[in-house]
Amino acid sequence: MTMNRRDFLKVSTGASGSLILAVSLPGCASVQTGFQPDTGEWKPDVWLELTRDDNIVFTLARVEMGQGTYTGLTTLIAEELDVNPARMKVKFAPVAPEYRNPLYGLQLTGASTSLATSWKPLREAGASARQMLVMAAAGVWGVDAGACTTEDGRVVHPNGIDSLRYGQLVELADKEVIRGKVALKPRSEWKYIGRQVGRLDARAKATGKAVYGIDVDLPGMVYAVMTRSPRYGGAANDFNRNDIIGLPGVRDAFITERGVAVVANSYWQARKAQQSLQVDWDFTKAIDLSTDQVFEGYRQAATNDPGARERSEGNVDKAADRATKVIEAEYEQPYLAHATLEPMNATAWYHDGGMEVWAPTQAPDLGRIAAARHSDLSPSAITIHTTFLGGGFGRRLTQDYIEEAAAVAYQLKVPVKLVWSREEDTRHGFLRPAMLHRMKGSLNDGELTGWHHQVVGPKILDWYVRNAAPAQYPWAPKFLYDTLGRVGLMAEGIATPKDISAIEGATSYPYQVPNVSVRHTHTDPGVPITWWRSVGYSHNGFAVETFMDELAHESGEDPVQFRRKMLDAEPRHREVLDRAARLAGWDQPAPEGRARGIALFQSFGTYVAQVVEAGIEQGEIKIYKVTCSVDCGQVVNPRIVEDQIAGGILFGLTAALYGEINFDGGEVRQSNFHDYRLLQQHQAPEVIVDIVDSDAAPTGVGEPGVPPVIPALGNALFALTGERQRRLPLTA
Amino acid sequence: MAFSLTINGHRHTVEVDSDTPLLWVVRDEIGLKGTKFGCGAGLCGACTVHVNGQPARSCLTPVEMVDGADITTIEGLANDSQLHPLQQAWIDQGVPQCGYCQSGQIMTAAHLLANNPSPSREEIVNAMTGNLCRCGTYARIVAAVEAVAGGVGHYEPAGEDA
Repeated sequence: MTMNRRDFLKVSTGASGSLILAVSLPGCASVQTGFQPDTGEWKPDVWLELTRDDNIVFTLARVEMGQGTYTGLTTLIAEELDVNPARMKVKFAPVAPEYRNPLYGLQLTGASTSLATSWKPLREAGASARQMLVMAAAGVWGVDAGACTTEDGRVVHPNGIDSLRYGQLVELADKEVIRGKVALKPRSEWKYIGRQVGRLDARAKATGKAVYGIDVDLPGMVYAVMTRSPRYGGAANDFNRNDIIGLPGVRDAFITERGVAVVANSYWQARKAQQSLQVDWDFTKAIDLSTDQVFEGYRQAATNDPGARERSEGNVDKAADRATKVIEAEYEQPYLAHATLEPMNATAWYHDGGMEVWAPTQAPDLGRIAAARHSDLSPSAITIHTTFLGGGFGRRLTQDYIEEAAAVAYQLKVPVKLVWSREEDTRHGFLRPAMLHRMKGSLNDGELTGWHHQVVGPKILDWYVRNAAPAQYPWAPKFLYDTLGRVGLMAEGIATPKDISAIEGATSYPYQVPNVSVRHTHTDPGVPITWWRSVGYSHNGFAVETFMDELAHESGEDPVQFRRKMLDAEPRHREVLDRAARLAGWDQPAPEGRARGIALFQSFGTYVAQVVEAGIEQGEIKIYKVTCSVDCGQVVNPRIVEDQIAGGILFGLTAALYGEINFDGGEVRQSNFHDYRLLQQHQAPEVIVDIVDSDAAPTGVGEPGVPPVIPALGNALFALTGERQRRLPLTA
Repeated sequence: MAFSLTINGHRHTVEVDSDTPLLWVVRDEIGLKGTKFGCGAGLCGACTVHVNGQPARSCLTPVEMVDGADITTIEGLANDSQLHPLQQAWIDQGVPQCGYCQSGQIMTAAHLLANNPSPSREEIVNAMTGNLCRCGTYARIVAAVEAVAGGVGHYEPAGEDA
């Protein structure tokens, strides 16, 4: 292990001076940098690898699940290195502290943070490498480095004629030392940031060559399927093993913590054998509830416990006493599945005292803990290989599918691929929690004087910390894992970040109202939950922006004007609101039979306003058009921003129209795309995405398109029918 | 049992259970991973391949039903090193996000254009609506198909007897 020799790297990569990491990192870097004479490779830092023959490889530490990190982050480093991003090769990062997301102290991709957290470090890394190459060339020529320029992978002599390829300079560049800070290019000199750089992964994905987790293939590989308890929390007591092991192709069948595994020579043989499985389940610890009971429990909790005070200004009770009108509303939002098109899967191989795992995961270091838990291996004996992800949306932050593959692989001595069926994916996932919202608004002669919002439901960290806490301390002995999880929860808000998953978007209520109260009543029905594209914003967006619409209506004011007059202190909110209204022709009547609704919502630092134009055709909700204005600060790739926002809109509309996972006696009712529907091509509305030109620090775009479109559609339907829907999904 | 298939112009003999879906034969026996598993019920279209020139949901097609057939997968759409115009359009338009559904999308679009070189937008939407995309790339898909329909005209995919 080579000591990291450059301080600037400590600064740039060691943004891993993370918020949560209480134990300091070991004194030397786990990723070897420097020049390797045998291979001719120069690694100026943990991100870049330049070779003598001009291969430039970027290590991508934020996984690619459609959101565009593969292109966006490569563009950042390429810009400063001064190389066309299309020439760079991209490889997925292994698990190492250097690749952690500095906001979480974990190597995870989520919360629309990849670009925001990479914005400075990656440009600094590119600029530093470029500077060292320039200094090396200047040394060769005996000229002033400041007079040299660069052009797409070459250093150009001050005479403008001679040049040296980066590859020719790698060995010399390694010996250069940068003193002080490296200057970043001014905005006016950018060649790639803010321009149309085509998606670097498009070719692989249009030719079928991109390797997703499910595509991993190893010599001698066998296939496993897992039969899980129909009710979450159940465990297998026994099963008809003798019937199963005689079936064609079956290699083995056994009980694991997660259910009964059937292993066969082919996927189909494993699936067929699974049909003959008879399992005796122990449901002692299993959930046994219906969706109605979940909401009944929420309502009781809401009544019994006003909840933790999360935001409080003025006195909402006094405001209500003095109001001319007090409006109350209750909103219900169901459990939601992620329905990534690539079902959960992982491939694991236990060999030579260690385990290799190939998986489409949003958190490879948590995956390593998950695999360690289900074997007698330590995390350091486990290697995680990340692949392309066929969708993530938060589902792949939870590593249950890696636990399963690891548990099975640990019993076998051959590589094993475990693939979930769509039905299993729908029924056994970790879900967006069902939530209840109680709202109370005070209007005094049309002015909103009081806003009370009670959020009722579980916290996601309760379900997540189990693997997340040990991932932060991978050297901790395994018997401490559960302790670490509990300590993580106890120290929430002190040593670990406060869990805002239930209240985000509620506490950030942007409107200037003199009396504001936001409370969270914490209640957890025991249904497994995780992050889901836009997380708490997804349900708080619906509650806040639907209630704003109700209040606008009650006060007799136009929904845009009603919001606008309370946004004097929020110019970026107001800007997107105005722009979306203008672009959508808000002042003009909607075409015959249609109506418009608007919503404004900030999430993950990004401001979004959307106008939905909808109608009802042949008994079904028809969405004609969505007009969206977005302010996400500096845009790195305009097309990816547009596509992420538009994709988020369709994701939100899918939830608004169809999204609902329901329980009956503890079992999920839905199973496949016929009863857990996705929006189809012929239902997709025209989507217009208007991006505010800004040089503010870039913020996320993967998720912020989702929250406002749900209330905007509901508000449009109210404008159309005069009936307010307070429960999702919406009906015609 | 043994079955004989011509996949992307190459003849293969596979020894599998007769009810094995074509999807798993193509992916795990032949090793062509571009065709994807999404739902196993013909609902999403990610597994779309061409069987004797017709689009088929390979997850619901038992191999015994296609014994002796000509199969084209996403890997066989390109002609030697020349991409199918739709693949090029997919790249130019930046269609894929996660990309998982796109093999199936392109195979469906290729069949549409092979039979209807200049479809209207409505025809494109109707032809493509059985292919689900969770990322919401629908508008880009239509734009890419239109770009090819408007610019290239009739195209015969490689490896298929048109």
